[in-house]
Amino acid sequence: MDTSGAIHSYIRPNTHIVLRLPSGLSKIVEIQPNTAARRLPAELHAEALSSNHATPAESRAETADDTGGVEFDIVGENGEVLMRSNRLTVDDPTRQALSMEEIEELKRAGTGSGKDIVAKIMASHQALGEKTSFSLAKYTLRKTKKYMKRFTVLPLDVSMLAQILLEREAPRIMELREEMLGLIGAWANVHYSGATRDFTNGSGVGRIGGGRWLVVDETGGLVVAALAEKMGILYPEEEDEEEGEEAQPEQAISTEAHPSEARPVEPALTADAPSPPAPSSDQPMPDAPPTSNPLSTSDPPPPSPSHPRRPHPTTFPPAIWLQLLHPSDDAAYAEPPLVPEAELATWKAGKRGTYYRKRRRWERVKRVVDETRAGGFDGLVVASSLDPVGVLRACVPLLRGAGQVVVYSPVVEPLVRVMDLYSRERRTAWVVRQQQQGQQKGEEDQEEAVNGTEDLETEEEDEGFPVNPTLLLSPMLQTTRGGGAEGYLFTATRVFPVEGKVEARGKFSKKRKVEPTNGVS
Amino acid sequence: MASAVPSPFLDPGPTASPGSLALLSLRRDLHTPLILQSADSEEQQVVNTRFGTYPHSTLVGLPWGTQVLASKEDSGRSRRSGKKRKREENDTGARDIAEEEGVEGPVAASSGFAHLVPPTPESWTMSLPHRTQVVYTPDYSYILQRLRVRPGDIVIEAGSGSGSFTHAAARAVFSGHPDPSLTSADNSSPPAKKKCKFGKVYSYEYHLPRAEKLREEIKAHGLDPIVTITHRDVYQDGFSLHTRATAAGKQPPEPLANAVFLDLPAPPLILPHPLDPSTPIRLCTFSPCIEQVQKTASTLRQLGWVEIDMVEVAHKRLEVRRERIGLAEDEQGRGAKAGPASVAEAVGRLKEQEGRESVEGDDEGGGGEAAGDAEGADRAGKEEKGGKGGGKGQGKQGQQSDGKEEKRPWRTGRLVHRTEPEIKTHTSYLLFAILPRLWTRDDEERCRRRWGKVAVEEPAVDEVEDAPPIVDDEAGKKRKAEGDVDGSAKRQKIDGDE
Repeated sequence: MDTSGAIHSYIRPNTHIVLRLPSGLSKIVEIQPNTAARRLPAELHAEALSSNHATPAESRAETADDTGGVEFDIVGENGEVLMRSNRLTVDDPTRQALSMEEIEELKRAGTGSGKDIVAKIMASHQALGEKTSFSLAKYTLRKTKKYMKRFTVLPLDVSMLAQILLEREAPRIMELREEMLGLIGAWANVHYSGATRDFTNGSGVGRIGGGRWLVVDETGGLVVAALAEKMGILYPEEEDEEEGEEAQPEQAISTEAHPSEARPVEPALTADAPSPPAPSSDQPMPDAPPTSNPLSTSDPPPPSPSHPRRPHPTTFPPAIWLQLLHPSDDAAYAEPPLVPEAELATWKAGKRGTYYRKRRRWERVKRVVDETRAGGFDGLVVASSLDPVGVLRACVPLLRGAGQVVVYSPVVEPLVRVMDLYSRERRTAWVVRQQQQGQQKGEEDQEEAVNGTEDLETEEEDEGFPVNPTLLLSPMLQTTRGGGAEGYLFTATRVFPVEGKVEARGKFSKKRKVEPTNGVS
Repeated sequence: MASAVPSPFLDPGPTASPGSLALLSLRRDLHTPLILQSADSEEQQVVNTRFGTYPHSTLVGLPWGTQVLASKEDSGRSRRSGKKRKREENDTGARDIAEEEGVEGPVAASSGFAHLVPPTPESWTMSLPHRTQVVYTPDYSYILQRLRVRPGDIVIEAGSGSGSFTHAAARAVFSGHPDPSLTSADNSSPPAKKKCKFGKVYSYEYHLPRAEKLREEIKAHGLDPIVTITHRDVYQDGFSLHTRATAAGKQPPEPLANAVFLDLPAPPLILPHPLDPSTPIRLCTFSPCIEQVQKTASTLRQLGWVEIDMVEVAHKRLEVRRERIGLAEDEQGRGAKAGPASVAEAVGRLKEQEGRESVEGDDEGGGGEAAGDAEGADRAGKEEKGGKGGGKGQGKQGQQSDGKEEKRPWRTGRLVHRTEPEIKTHTSYLLFAILPRLWTRDDEERCRRRWGKVAVEEPAVDEVEDAPPIVDDEAGKKRKAEGDVDGSAKRQKIDGDE
């Protein structure tokens, strides 16, 4: 369906690319014809880069040997430099004969790749022979990184953007690392769903599945973008390269739906918002047009000439919690009065336009809210600073059976609490309590609780059971990588518990009466 | 079967249908896979697990995610009764009907349950039959993310192993089926599209029984339109799926993959084999030893790969539980640690004992009261937390007298978390690299024709002339510098052919 491969194969005009500099830093550059990319070490012209707008992406813009021009053996082949020690090394800055000024001059004069500068620096070091092979390697690498005018051109995709944002503005994306994006996608079971069969649920109101994931995203749209990429709806569809020849150029110059705005996370930024952050719950939908900019869900920046067809923000309709929990309290949900055609005809054009705009907005809001409240989502992904307990309480009942739940948090404590609320012991207590209440109250009440269809907002917070612990299976808490903002993930599966008495089987250390989980996990 | 019904991995539908792979989730890490048998089949199939017996008839037709009670052993097996169909239709009233039917139909057992869930690459990874070391979720999710595997991509995997990566990659590349009968549901897609590109996974395995087993699994899972399993020694024969006759022709090496995952001992032996020159190729090798990584990295450099980067995924699972320490009533029970929780409690305990010794012969109550005084503040706090549960100032004897219902072990004690002792990731090193695409004069010409209209100024053309030789030049230099012409020469040749 989506041939996203082609657009990551070579550079096109009016797109964003990433230049990986020798220093390891990355830089986002917008490729516009006939402009110079400034402040690059090599002062390369954009035309040269895009070579009338097409250079192999991910190719070296500058010829150079692999390790940056200077070949060396980290470990000597015959072992002769292997065990040299730094016992005799003199730590003295004067050992480098080249002064800062001389190096600067070299840089100004240099027309080459920078390899010559590095070579000169190496040659001017008076005690290179004293260095151990390891320190020599490090020295060379450091100088290479500093002086080489060479970079790698990479396509700007979600992973790349996440990496760059993590380097620069980690808190804005909740310190979400690339490995977390991968894990979230895997555990949420997000995949292409364009061909998924559609099923209505028993009551005929909502749908079951259909490739819809419920996302609570406060990372400025990064999570939504990552999920959309995995669903194949982030990038515009492109013809095969071979067919590109026959394609009309006008058609091909389409907006790159890259999350590649100069201020990519601005729209949904909540850090310095005066009011509490407005949570947006987004549903990436497979039938949405593939051209979409997920990073402009709430407030798209004004269209620029280079983006003639800026994606419409309604692709991922934002619904706020009020609309989800108390739709009737939200003005946007209330139907504007319907005016008969005859009367409309008498109105002025401007007034009529406003009327239609209002009707359309209401229709959109109503459709999104009704569909969201009808539930049946394939999964729930949460990356939000809101207390996950409240989010789960509201959203878990909206999932289809076996729908996946994934909650990301940069810190572990909120998720530890969630794990505790879905603990085996608490589930046991819940089941016991349900049985006791069921005996008292009768059947229908219990059935509601079992199916999770109880009204989301009416049931008052139950002390000890802020969430129904039997609605999630296999709660798991995990983290990946150590150090810094590691990030934590809570995962579970939405299930339908059996009503009435449930007893586990297996070996237990002690006799217990009721146990909603088999064995000891 | 597989070609008619969408794979349960990709589109399981709302309910468990016969013929579909399903998993019985028994515990977090214990899933029993089964292919659901239709209720009409002569022999009624039964799943036996550690946590009970589940006849297929109690599972087919249930909404996914439903909790299922175990049935009595020997009930519902082989002997067919007319009432069984009725039993299925009524999902929830299991026990009533079972009672009606007596031994004829499945009868709910007094204990045991499971959850019926559709397969996902994650749950399959947990439950698949191990043939080799498994690539676990933290590794494969990161690899697929780094390799930028998206719907419509072509992925090469060697070797297939137990198939965990295969399943995950199939989900990642899936972009619909070429068969129109399967994509008919997708009305929204523009029918005018000339050519749809469908994602594919090409998996190579040199161990014949393993390759065949995986091929069977892939077929049973309905993934055979997406995954091609090839039994081959890729060290020797590379990835090309062309027959010898056509290989001599001009055709580029099939498959035209843009991502390659190598989970085998010697990646350097494979790397010189030709890959698609018309796209950048992202590579990941999965090697347990750092020496393998060093060799691979060196080979990659020689062959012109860039962005070479090694990562070790350190994944941990955290266990969350309540730690109950202390003498207070609430803190007692299963899993509790005997001993005082605080200095105050310890002191109180000692005072209690002292009191007993000095007032020997006195009744127990006195001692209890003394303890109660000392622990007063501490215990009051705990009681507040634990609600009405527990005794009021009662000593140790409270344990026996108090009913179990009063206890709330799920909300007492200290909430703690720590790394789980068993780490289910194979600690291998992941080496990533990118092979830039070849850029030929033809490509340049094509792009100029396509995008040329965007350019306004003429001078750009001059620079265009300079651009293509860059690639050639680089490769040429490399050949000179390395002396090893094998890999780069091959890529050169491909270039030349075009």
